[in-house]
Amino acid sequence: MTTTTSTPLSGTDRLRTSAPPARHARRRRMRKDLLRSRIVAWTAVLVIGAFGMLPVYWLLATALSSPEQTFQFPPKLIPTDITFSNFTALAENDQLITYLVNSLIVASITAVLSVVVATYMGYSFSKFRYRGRRSLMHLVLASQMFPQALLLVTLYAVFSSFGLLNTYTALVLSFTTFTMPLCVWMLKGIFDTIPDALLEAASIDGASRWRTLHSIVAPLAAPGMIAAGLFAFVRGWNDFIFAVTLADKEKQTLPPGLVSTYIGEFQTAWPELMAASLVVSVPVVVAFMFLQRYLVGGMTAGSVKS
Amino acid sequence: MSTAAPPQKAAPHRERTGGRLSNGAFALLLTAPGLALFATIIIYPLVSALFTGFFKQDLRLPGREFVGLDNFTYWLDGDFLTILKQTLVFTVGATIVPFVVGFALALALNSGLKGSGFLRGLFLFPWVIPGVVVSFLWMWIFNANYGVLNGILMKAGIIEESVSWLGQPGTAMLAVIVTKTWASFPWMMVMLLAGLQTVPKELHEAASMDGAGSIRRFFAVTWPQVRGVASIVLLLEFIWNFQHFDTIYVLTGGGPAGATETFATAVYQTAFKGFDIGRATALGGLWMLLLLVLVAVYLRITERKGDAR
Repeated sequence: MTTTTSTPLSGTDRLRTSAPPARHARRRRMRKDLLRSRIVAWTAVLVIGAFGMLPVYWLLATALSSPEQTFQFPPKLIPTDITFSNFTALAENDQLITYLVNSLIVASITAVLSVVVATYMGYSFSKFRYRGRRSLMHLVLASQMFPQALLLVTLYAVFSSFGLLNTYTALVLSFTTFTMPLCVWMLKGIFDTIPDALLEAASIDGASRWRTLHSIVAPLAAPGMIAAGLFAFVRGWNDFIFAVTLADKEKQTLPPGLVSTYIGEFQTAWPELMAASLVVSVPVVVAFMFLQRYLVGGMTAGSVKS
Repeated sequence: MSTAAPPQKAAPHRERTGGRLSNGAFALLLTAPGLALFATIIIYPLVSALFTGFFKQDLRLPGREFVGLDNFTYWLDGDFLTILKQTLVFTVGATIVPFVVGFALALALNSGLKGSGFLRGLFLFPWVIPGVVVSFLWMWIFNANYGVLNGILMKAGIIEESVSWLGQPGTAMLAVIVTKTWASFPWMMVMLLAGLQTVPKELHEAASMDGAGSIRRFFAVTWPQVRGVASIVLLLEFIWNFQHFDTIYVLTGGGPAGATETFATAVYQTAFKGFDIGRATALGGLWMLLLLVLVAVYLRITERKGDAR
């Protein structure tokens, strides 16, 4: 494309040299304008970059520092004796391992449950037209905007009366309150991209509606279903409010686990906490590397972050 | 933006033979598992919460006593306005500041800088990591005794002695807003960048050929194109912040002296520290009423844009 347009452009360039001076001035101004906007752009990136990235640097630097070094004031901005002992200390902490295992179990089950349920619901919303459909869709959309703190109060009472407090079930169900709406909207968006003609063809070939969904639509939507599942996993992995309230030490996940392990001590072990924070963040960062393509869709469809 | 469905779509299976259910019934059957879950874990608890507000009830004990509007008047005669004001300060601050920061960054990344794709990915880090990690990190930065912020400001001669950022009412809310800004601006940036990328380059070129400066071009060309995305992003962030819990709870727990108490922390503390779920759900009911207005506005806007079809 550039090659085809370049010839006429250079032609006009040649013309411009003999153009009236006003044209010259405008071109010069445009060039100056471009330079100025470049400078402004880089300044913005640098300033915001400092705000965005210096804390990340500090997270890393603290995680690699010895405890003695962090209890100095003023703090050393560049750690001198780098150590990995904070990370090895985490691996030896059995309670933290329990939290980690709980996190993996609960977030995985939540993701699978949400995707399965949301696949049917999203497919129904995307490919069928029936009375009450719009109201149901609005209900799903609005449900993720209800305050979690309030929902939690009665959810706690419900789980308590069924003896479900401090179980994986309670955590999975409570996480599903925010992952399911997200998955429904994401998957509806994905089914919308599958042409109706395909479904009609399947139907003409004699495939039943179930078969069409399971053998034709689902394989096509598989990447989207995995993306929705990853989003759900991340949301479950990151949750704090439900996990801290509905479960105790044995069943709690990492985010509340870290709070109860480190915060509120007389002197917080900051380097260890920063190391632990990095470890909790790793799966999420990896998941988002795979999710880049679905990022914007997932963000609005599900109204991902609370 | 989610992929919008084409305006009117014929049901694909209308001409089906063999299936015993009508298409409408089949479609409803597909939603059944989801609806059952919805009803038990979202709708029933929320509705029952609205009723609990009229009772005196302890979280740990069975039984309750009808007290009419007592729980509501307890709040309305008491802290309601203070909590509302603080919630609004937090919500507005933690919505506007990340929006400005995120928009500035999106504009910069959209101006054809090299490596902007990589930078976009890098900047997402604060947004993707768990909320409690964000809180830990800023708690450490704001730490009164060993915190790096105090260290830098002192070296630069801006402050003379350590400031307890999270420990005093004057600065705690500011610190909470800064923390939330750090966690939210990447999301704003990605959304706005996606909006900016839909602005045709030719429009900009044409405008600048006509002699429009960059500020003029922003308001005449860019802004009208991204206004839709901007309003959705602002409204969603406002709704989320209005009920945000994690950052505030971990950083300050609503303190010091209630200076960062919002609806979310107040409802939570009343229910799980004070065990008074009558009062907690009463405040929650008032809170939800306000939220419903916001959600209604949101639904209207997405409806108009055709996203919620």
